[in-house]
Amino acid sequence: MKGLGVLSTFIKKEFRQIMRSREMLLVLFLLPAIQLLVMGFAVTNEVKHIDISFFDLDRSIQSRRLMEAFSSTDRFHLVEVGEQDRPELQLFRWKSKVVIVIPAGFERKLAQGRIPALQLLLDGIDGNTASIANAYVQSCVKGFTEGYLRGKDPRRVGYMLQGQKASEIIIQMSFNPDLQSNLNIIPGIIAVLVTVTSMLLSAISLVKEKELGTLEQLLVTPVKKYQLLIGKILPYLLITLLQLQVAVLLAGLIFGIRVAGSYWVLTLFSIVYLFTSLGFGIFISTRVESQQQAMFFSWFMMVIMILLSGFFVPVQNMPQGVRWVSFANPLTHYMTVLREIVVKGSGLMQLKEELLVLLGGGMLVFGFGILSFRKRV
Amino acid sequence: MIKTEELTRKFGDFIAVDHLNLQIVRGEIFGFLGANGAGKTTTIRMLCGLLMPSSGRIWVNNLDVAKEGEKVKKSIGYMSQRFSLYQDLKAKENLEFYAGVYATPRAEAWENTLPLLEQFGLKESLNMRTAELPMGYKQRLSLVCALVHNPPLVILDEPTSGVDPQARREFWQVINQLAFAGKTVLVSTHFMDEAEYCHRVIIMQAGKEVALGPPRELKQRFEVQNMQELFMKVAGGINAKLK
Repeated sequence: MKGLGVLSTFIKKEFRQIMRSREMLLVLFLLPAIQLLVMGFAVTNEVKHIDISFFDLDRSIQSRRLMEAFSSTDRFHLVEVGEQDRPELQLFRWKSKVVIVIPAGFERKLAQGRIPALQLLLDGIDGNTASIANAYVQSCVKGFTEGYLRGKDPRRVGYMLQGQKASEIIIQMSFNPDLQSNLNIIPGIIAVLVTVTSMLLSAISLVKEKELGTLEQLLVTPVKKYQLLIGKILPYLLITLLQLQVAVLLAGLIFGIRVAGSYWVLTLFSIVYLFTSLGFGIFISTRVESQQQAMFFSWFMMVIMILLSGFFVPVQNMPQGVRWVSFANPLTHYMTVLREIVVKGSGLMQLKEELLVLLGGGMLVFGFGILSFRKRV
Repeated sequence: MIKTEELTRKFGDFIAVDHLNLQIVRGEIFGFLGANGAGKTTTIRMLCGLLMPSSGRIWVNNLDVAKEGEKVKKSIGYMSQRFSLYQDLKAKENLEFYAGVYATPRAEAWENTLPLLEQFGLKESLNMRTAELPMGYKQRLSLVCALVHNPPLVILDEPTSGVDPQARREFWQVINQLAFAGKTVLVSTHFMDEAEYCHRVIIMQAGKEVALGPPRELKQRFEVQNMQELFMKVAGGINAKLK
């Protein structure tokens, strides 16, 4: 009972301090809102308004139709070209990202049932955008061809149809039929937010006591180190969970993303994961002397964790060695789990392996943090 | 109340405290004097259990600090030389926090501190943020916080540095009252006039005891007029040589 009293004393004090510090409240509630808004809208794999220019050497009805197929979607933005312009220079001068050259005789070849060639030039500096643009171009051209063939005499153009339909792939995108990148990005942002808040704030709040000398004052009291640690850490666990609710709520309100799976499974996984990130926070706090240092080390760790988590780049794309590091990165697993629960609606049974990994990692990191705290403080 | 036996602390090759033997009795005001780096603070930190001795032993209240540190901590009220209360909490909240940390029931904590709060003129400022208090008041609040659990031993590490003379005198009045009430008070200080208030003082240099005894006796023994001269005579030696 006495132990509980000491603990509640600590928690009460910690909350008082948090509620009084404007910076803390900003970090807790404004930061998630801004991050969700900015990143949710800005970080996207969908490519829109790609600057495209056409060099129409055919100047026929069909070539114009082809161009219209491109200008009718918001994926492309048509750039006017003048007499002096040349296709390669269009890319070189940043005038457009995609250039299509329609050769003379385009319409004639179509009418004869021969497959006309088009030249496609892509700006490959941003590989991701280029390959996505390529796919869009292919589908636009395909749509145009299909439109052209429709209503034509099937016997005349029969072999073309056969060529196209020999084996058609019917694609069905599961869980995210429109390939909305929001659905992928937003759970990722939430995972990052949870990590940032818990790791940074716990490290800073512990180091602050060290910096101000209050830690020393506490160490001459009969308070045991575990009480001190729980008293300092528990408030941040609760606050991060609260922040998670805020983030999920905002994701629903702003982006219309509903958690497909169980809300409780999401919370359970978050608690398990928080042991890892809070453990890192404790560990950092034992190695540094000032809040600035704590901030620096936390950011250093978080940048690595975020980059290797599969947030921006799929883990499968990484070289084998880096993939191992990524597997050892707790954020990778938490992010996977969040996406599974939010998008796919996976339950605890499907995720039990991830639960074990996160639980094991959490105990390891948290235990290590506590040991380091006991030894160093 | 306190007994040390060959107490030694090394930091690498540097010997901060060198085979110190002390015996301090109940109700005594015991002063630690010495230049910066003489080993006062290191000794005090070992007495509170903040630092482990490299060798030697310490008993507080007949309890071995190395073995029964937790019990010892309950009987100590400690005020460090750095101001270390939570500035963003109200004065009252700091008191409540330390009462909670020492598991002292609220009523008892008020009983222990109310007379002091009144004497220090702090009672009216209890609802102020600690950061807003003037320096002298912060210092007083620190002392009250260290006494919230009514400890028999009070350890004050340079409590009056940065405090104006008037406040210093008031502070010493309280120290006297504490000793009169049967508490043992350990004080380290730079101010030689304060040393006169102590029942006994130790002058340390390079971790060693160079003089120990009641101020009056020491003055007679070394044939000096006041503590300032005494200090220069016994502890100034090395500095003189350095020149």
